[in-house]
Amino acid sequence: MIRPFGWNEFELILFAVRWTIVLAVMAFVGGGIGGLIVALLRTSDSRVLRVATIAFIRVFQGTPLLMQLFLAYFGMTILGFSVNPLVAAMVALTAHASAYLGEIWRGCIEAVPSGQSEAATALGLRYFNRMRCVVLPQAARIAVPPTVGFLVQLLKETSLASIIGFVELTRQAQIIDSVTFRPFLVFSIVAAIYFAMCWPLSLAARRLERKFAQATAR
Amino acid sequence: MPSILKKGAALFLGLGLMAGLTTMAAQAADALQAIKSKGTVKIGMLVDFPPYGLMNEQNKPDGYDADVAKALAEEMGVKLQLVPVTGPNRIPYLLSGQVDLLVASLGITPARAKKVDFSEPYAAITIGVYGKDDVKISKPEELAGKTIAVARASTQDTAVTKVAPKSTNIRRFDSDAAALQALISGQVPLLGCSNVCYVTIQKLAPGKYNKKFELSSQVQGVAVKPGEKDLLAWVNQFIDKAKSDGKLDKINQKWLGEPMPAILKKSSQ
Repeated sequence: MIRPFGWNEFELILFAVRWTIVLAVMAFVGGGIGGLIVALLRTSDSRVLRVATIAFIRVFQGTPLLMQLFLAYFGMTILGFSVNPLVAAMVALTAHASAYLGEIWRGCIEAVPSGQSEAATALGLRYFNRMRCVVLPQAARIAVPPTVGFLVQLLKETSLASIIGFVELTRQAQIIDSVTFRPFLVFSIVAAIYFAMCWPLSLAARRLERKFAQATAR
Repeated sequence: MPSILKKGAALFLGLGLMAGLTTMAAQAADALQAIKSKGTVKIGMLVDFPPYGLMNEQNKPDGYDADVAKALAEEMGVKLQLVPVTGPNRIPYLLSGQVDLLVASLGITPARAKKVDFSEPYAAITIGVYGKDDVKISKPEELAGKTIAVARASTQDTAVTKVAPKSTNIRRFDSDAAALQALISGQVPLLGCSNVCYVTIQKLAPGKYNKKFELSSQVQGVAVKPGEKDLLAWVNQFIDKAKSDGKLDKINQKWLGEPMPAILKKSSQ
């Protein structure tokens, strides 16, 4: 029952990247929006909002992504909601990434000296403009390395979505491995493909950092 | 790295879900009618368990299970939708209603029979301990102090774990392919696997490995949600027919190169 590993098998693995990319983009976009909201709520003046956000972060940082995916899909179905796996993955990945990015960005916002915020207030800037024009641009500069580090990790974590039926890169490789029995070859290819996706991200981050450094160099 | 956690976690959660689900069984009285009126039957099958379940060159589910599923849908007169499932998530897929039936090489065991309802067997596998020619053992007690590879959460995992002495080092891998690779690359001297898997070993490394002893004869059944009696009765009738009109024999010949094993011929009920 063995099949040789040929071009066709290679193509199947390469093609499975589309799900990895879809999942990663969903997680990046959802997590980016959710993370910004979490970071802002977490640094807000209202105690209620802060506590609620901390609870959200604790729950989603403290439970494995695999469980979140599993519960979002099978759990919801049992509760009587029919969820499509794509929606379940989007919900779980967004919540997961929001919790982590929120905390990363909270740290970056708090790293901006409070004098900046106070000076902006003294100039008559309200919350929205204070954040948009003064605090967030400075925080963004600090945020690049940890954010990219997390995104690269998240891209690889999308392989967990195979538990709810996505045949993405890693799962496809397992399936191909089960008929070709060439694990070293199969998983080396997979590692190379992940690397080819992660490395450009890291490169882009380096460039962004350099740009920021130039912009603020004295 | 995360996969030990991954599968363990999935199983753990799966069991939790199942406990909650038994209460839902009552509402499932006319499952057969529901499938017929939908016009499509959703059948879960493994795709990493050749020759029972695999992805063919066109990347479509294929294999023994796929052929049984196709025959079943045809007999029922509805369209077939094959849903690829994995070992650890197949029972959650069934119990949460994502699939109507499992034709997923699910070995009939008493523990599983508490969670799902099994049909009569439609396939059989013998499970044994295989290993290098120079490893001289012939019974489970002699596994003491030895290392043996199995696929995690599989029937062979359960069987080996049950009979092996405490000092046996059982190494669990994600799939039969990975466990088999551990044997062939020399990481482990012994492997708990099926006769089907042994066919593969013989192809990869002819004459170097032999069967040490048999653990069990495992029959596999179609699984339905607990309490779906009419659906189960229909499936049993379908399997009986496939056995007597030679359809199942043909599927055995096609995928295993052997006639239908004797253990399937006698009806289990």
